[in-house]
Amino acid sequence: MIDPHDIIVPTDPDEALAAVVALRRLADRIEREAVRSALHQGWSWSRIAQALGISKQAAHKRLSDVAANNGSA
Amino acid sequence: MFQAIKSKLDNMSIIKRLCERAETYAVQDQQREPGAEHFLLAALDLPDGTARLAFERAGVEPDALRAAIERQYADALRSIGLKADIPAGAPMPANPGAYRAASSGREIMQDLAATRKDHSRLLGAHVVGIVAGMPHGVAARALRALDIDPVVLKSTADAIAEASRIR
Repeated sequence: MIDPHDIIVPTDPDEALAAVVALRRLADRIEREAVRSALHQGWSWSRIAQALGISKQAAHKRLSDVAANNGSA
Repeated sequence: MFQAIKSKLDNMSIIKRLCERAETYAVQDQQREPGAEHFLLAALDLPDGTARLAFERAGVEPDALRAAIERQYADALRSIGLKADIPAGAPMPANPGAYRAASSGREIMQDLAATRKDHSRLLGAHVVGIVAGMPHGVAARALRALDIDPVVLKSTADAIAEASRIR
């Protein structure tokens, strides 16, 4: 378990911004894997969207290719 | 006249190849829009060989770039105390419709367009020179991860491009 208090925000802006880019990329990858898994388990787009806190349209627009790769579009 | 038209057509074909390769690298990296780092990888694949030559003359193995791009992400996470094994994941499909590059990728294309009169033929070394001059971003951090001095890489790439223009 990661304690958020353990996260050190670098004082050098270049380093801090590099961390932001890497975190976004990591989050994107986790999101795609989680959506792939959800679709595989039969989740609907409404349910996925609700879990992500976005609209069904937004979820589908951003992640519909995951469904295509999953073979259940 | 004929030579000028031929040169323009050749450059269009090179730009097409560069953009397509950059997009391929981007989707393999699970990104829809290629950034400077993907254009740099694409430049190393151009058949003129000048991008690879610039790396080699700067003392760096060109094939090490891809791993360095990955490494700088891990280093950035480690700098805030996170150790994450980033899942590789499947490539995502390219953007449908018109070609779109990420901001850093667009910067390269704009720079190439702005300096097109300086080069009769577009070379991989031109792309390397532009990317080496970028102080920030994924590509700059990947070059630092390779221990490349960007000033040296830029001057080497520019010299190779200039020598090719004179020839």
